[in-house]
Amino acid sequence: MITQLTQTTHWTDVFKTTKGAIYQCDAERCWYVDFAGKVARFDYRCLLKLRKSVYHIDIEHALLNTAKDPDVEIIFICACDHCYVLTLIQIIALKELLEGTFVMLELNRILNDKLVISQ
Amino acid sequence: MKDLLRIKSLISAEIEGLLNQQVKKEAYSSSVYLSMASWCNRNGYDFSADYFFKQAEEERTHQLKFFKYILDMGGNSLSPEVSGIKQEYNSFREVFEEALDQEISVTNSIKNIYARCMKEQDFVTMEFLNWFLKEQREEEYKARRALELFEVIGEEGTGRWQIDKQVGEIKYNSEA
Repeated sequence: MITQLTQTTHWTDVFKTTKGAIYQCDAERCWYVDFAGKVARFDYRCLLKLRKSVYHIDIEHALLNTAKDPDVEIIFICACDHCYVLTLIQIIALKELLEGTFVMLELNRILNDKLVISQ
Repeated sequence: MKDLLRIKSLISAEIEGLLNQQVKKEAYSSSVYLSMASWCNRNGYDFSADYFFKQAEEERTHQLKFFKYILDMGGNSLSPEVSGIKQEYNSFREVFEEALDQEISVTNSIKNIYARCMKEQDFVTMEFLNWFLKEQREEEYKARRALELFEVIGEEGTGRWQIDKQVGEIKYNSEA
């Protein structure tokens, strides 16, 4: 687990909600996901895998499920150091955080493209 | 802020998803043609069986082209699962009718990816897809020509034997 205190490189805010935040570190070419009480480092592949696994959770089905199992999802990503054990409310929050992040990254791509064209 | 997604991959996640779907479609086509080859062979239509064996091979080549392109562009190619292949056909003609349907569906799917590329201004993938668009002209022509043989020769008497022989001769050599 990484805490903000050990941060030595510059992080740029990508997207923030009241439940968490995602930062980008240009020097390390990675993202830091501050969510569920920990800050975890994700490289390109792992961030995409995280998005895929969160998007694949059928929230509606879980909400309507009346079984007595606890409403907890384990998000385990292959070849990635981190694992999340989240409640449904947290999953909705993480999904929102990731959706916002990818919109911002897309916006960043558009801006970068425009800058290259105008140079 | 650096565009890290772009550094890692030339194609967007949406295009990557569509291309992976196409990999699956081509794999499915290849399996369908193999099943058609088997049916034709079992029923004594050897020239048509050879034609479908060739088609199955071509679809496999197309699948690998898409597969390798995704990897070359920094994406993640997914090896597809193929299931639900029809093994039996009611008639010789039905085999060719379904072959044409299959090709039309592939053409539509490629057009759909092309449309998405235009929207994103992904000219690199558009250029890659041009080869497939041209290839589909040939594929659809051949499938349509095979069906045409049923009309012009007719299935009565030794008709099906004639059609089978002619299917082996179908070629597309347009210069356009």
